[in-house]
Amino acid sequence: MADLALSGAPRARSIPEKVWGKIVGISRRSPTSIIGFVIILFFGLLALLAPLLMPYDPIAANPNLILQGPSANHWFGTDGNGMDVLSRVIFGSRFAFGIAIPVVIIALAIGIPIGLYSGYKGGNIDEAIMRVVDAFRVFPSIILALAVVAAAGPSLLNVVLVIGVLDAPIFVRVVRAEVLALRSSSFVESGLIVGNPTWRILFVHLLPNAIQGAMAQTAVRAAWAVRISATLAFLGIGIQPPTPEWGAMIRQGAEFMVNGQWWVGIFPGVALILMVLGLNMFGDGLQDLLDPKRRSGGK
Amino acid sequence: MTEPLLRAENLTKHFVTPRTAQTVRAVNGVSFEMHAGSTVGMVGESGSGKSTIGRMVVRLLKPTQGSVTFRGRDIAPLRDRAVRALRADLQMVFQDPWSALNPRMRVKRIIQEPLLLHSKLSDSARSDRVEEIARSVRLNTDLLTRFPGELSGGQLQRVCIARAIATDPGLIVLDEPTSSLDLSVRAGILDLLQELREKTGAAMLFISHDLGTVRLVSDHILVLYLGHIIESGPMAKVFDEPAHPYTQTLLSAHLPADPHTQLHRHLLEGEIPSPIDMPPGCPFSTRCPLVRDDCRTALPPMVDIGDGAQRAACIRIPEGSNKVPL
Amino acid sequence: MSLLQVRDLHTHFISRNLDNEIRIATALNGVSFEVSRGEVLGLVGETGAGKSLTAYSVMNLLKPPAQVVGGVVEFDGRNLRDLETEDMNKLRGSEIAMVVQNPRSSLDPLTRIGEQLVRVHTAHTDTSESAARARAIEMLGAVGIPAPEQRMRAWPHELSGGMAQRVLIAMALMNEPKLIIADEPTTGLDVTVQAQILDLLRELVETRNVAAMVITHDLGIVAHYCDRMAVMFAGRIVETGAVETVFDNPEHPYTRTLIASTPERLRETKQKILGGGAPPNLYNLPPGCHYVERCQFADDSCNNPLVLEQVGDGHFAMCARMDAVREGWPS
Repeated sequence: MADLALSGAPRARSIPEKVWGKIVGISRRSPTSIIGFVIILFFGLLALLAPLLMPYDPIAANPNLILQGPSANHWFGTDGNGMDVLSRVIFGSRFAFGIAIPVVIIALAIGIPIGLYSGYKGGNIDEAIMRVVDAFRVFPSIILALAVVAAAGPSLLNVVLVIGVLDAPIFVRVVRAEVLALRSSSFVESGLIVGNPTWRILFVHLLPNAIQGAMAQTAVRAAWAVRISATLAFLGIGIQPPTPEWGAMIRQGAEFMVNGQWWVGIFPGVALILMVLGLNMFGDGLQDLLDPKRRSGGK
Repeated sequence: MTEPLLRAENLTKHFVTPRTAQTVRAVNGVSFEMHAGSTVGMVGESGSGKSTIGRMVVRLLKPTQGSVTFRGRDIAPLRDRAVRALRADLQMVFQDPWSALNPRMRVKRIIQEPLLLHSKLSDSARSDRVEEIARSVRLNTDLLTRFPGELSGGQLQRVCIARAIATDPGLIVLDEPTSSLDLSVRAGILDLLQELREKTGAAMLFISHDLGTVRLVSDHILVLYLGHIIESGPMAKVFDEPAHPYTQTLLSAHLPADPHTQLHRHLLEGEIPSPIDMPPGCPFSTRCPLVRDDCRTALPPMVDIGDGAQRAACIRIPEGSNKVPL
Repeated sequence: MSLLQVRDLHTHFISRNLDNEIRIATALNGVSFEVSRGEVLGLVGETGAGKSLTAYSVMNLLKPPAQVVGGVVEFDGRNLRDLETEDMNKLRGSEIAMVVQNPRSSLDPLTRIGEQLVRVHTAHTDTSESAARARAIEMLGAVGIPAPEQRMRAWPHELSGGMAQRVLIAMALMNEPKLIIADEPTTGLDVTVQAQILDLLRELVETRNVAAMVITHDLGIVAHYCDRMAVMFAGRIVETGAVETVFDNPEHPYTRTLIASTPERLRETKQKILGGGAPPNLYNLPPGCHYVERCQFADDSCNNPLVLEQVGDGHFAMCARMDAVREGWPS
């Protein structure tokens, strides 16, 4: 067939062509992952370059400029203490990452070993562990977080720890599911036949193969972490004003909304939504890319 | 007569199904011996228990009853930790090379692992040994840095074999090592196994459902049906003059890859009964063309045939009426 | 008179990888063969040779990114590639039936088998439900299932492997097909059940004048149940002929290696067969013969395009160096 005499070997491409090609290739498979990535990148840059980008000091109160609407000097207006909302929103992105990243790390550090062990052991041990894990998952996380923070104090550290622990069950489930699937393949038997002790089977053999699902979930769980911490701050737990965290800002803004001063709450709200959306889209897209079964078509 | 390297006595494995609590009698009172340097072929169809026996011999599974005496020591009751120490001496090659290897581990690391776990070689000594082993299994040393996903079936099975022989084990169990491989690749693997056997003097337990392959590699044959050994003996004897009716029908149903061979087949009725529902007496009594009433009352004992090298469990043998008309 | 004639069939897998490059795997590269009524053609080859793909291409059952890009599939005088989807759907399951490898994956686990058999019949013909039921019972009996009337109410998971495979064959027979394509119909089944199923297939071919194509990797099945055989390698039929002829006088080096690798020959010759090697890269096949990388007789003449040449009565092979191979092959 002459018209399809394209051989499988493509001609060599230059670096920029390759990079663009990769971007197009990925976005064909999963446009959401690219969009999500761009959003996260955007906020990441904001967080990183905050000192350079903020027009004003985010916690500099100015009693003369209280509750000014958006203007040329203050694009997002000022809040109840006279602080510039734009600067606060930009600085708030640091909190989003500052919470999301440690939370996910803690959740992974707790969830992965439990998932590995439970899936590998199976039987009664697995059942027992999963009952406990399910209890955590089912328990309304806000209430638990409220209780812990109320008892231990409203610091950032406590919030991160609590959310981290609450987030772990998902990773336990995901890792365990992959381990269960792997157990029936003979490479675990192979690991045993070579004489591996249990810890090596779990961490050297199972872990690298069971981690994909967990990795794909990280972005989505990060989104959840951001949302929860914002919710807690909104409820008055956790981070307190004047700290420029979006949830706390929304809380403050909710009071002023009634009086028509919408900018105090809406801007951080939009930032929060975008961030969470971006993380979710990226995470979802990542799952599409990594798990070939989710993709359609192909023989 | 030298001491056998391995002696299995009255090996039994029963599984209980989790939800319905039925007993699967996978292996029932199996006894046999293996000597260094020889290959024992274990044949049987589905439900014969051959894979289960293979796993009990290397203690991947713990027998429900019976003993596995390896180098004079019963390994059946050992705890897992003690069994691990044996792994340098007792190895296994699995049927499906694609799922038997960790897809995220490079080939070199895979072959190296037994050395890491069981020997005290330095890093460089281990590395050298891995190359040596790769050469002895005719695996291109370029492939050592690759991942399993980049290798073909034949190459993967060579990696599995390399891993199995790394610590120079005395006994290797091979569970259908060529069944998943393409025809043109099988001959190479079988040839390699032959060569390794001669070089290392290891004993091999070759499990397969393919009679043609078993015939090529085995010195001694065990024929299994529903978890029982129903015939055993030197390969040539069992293939040329099968004594047990099941062996006869099994051999007759085999399709040799030669269109000129005339088939004289006796086709059995129905299918193999489930190991949950074992018939009383002889396990073959539900399908045997020569069955009679006293076959169902008690399990037939193994009787000697001729000089005793060949044995089979059929009550008709002493009276000479065990030939199935083909 | 051949019922199915496939000429120069090309099937490609066309996709884009993550680097946005077009990747084309040329899986079938000019497959040509025929099957006639009253005969069984055995199609052999290693994994990836394209045997199943050929069957799916003929039946027009390919899903993207696979697509037929060239060639003719002539069935009973009609070019199947020209047919409208609706007409092809009518053909499938009635005139051409396919029996696949894993019976359980083809049976609807939530419907009793009797119902499934009836459905196949009523979908393609104008019969009444009761007539269809009667025929279903008849077919179950024909494939050797005991107590067929009771079996009609069985669920697929209640059947053993052998039974399930027989039900699939019964389903294939419901509409009196002219051609049956069986893809590894007995893999995984016990030797006795295998014999029963193959005997059944053979009987159908002989008594009902059906044409059959059996895809298998088991040369024993080919030797005893097939009239003609076709050997596939890297998307091409490299040799075809009557079974005895090809077994006795294989011409193509790949066929020679295959025959020589069977346990029966290995026992006779004790010859070192260094067959096998890396599977061909379908994304980048050599321009002429696809077997060059594994062939010990390859030289420059092998880079030219090849055709099937006649080497005997009804015996064809595709090799540029057949004389050299004949001389050089160890006997």
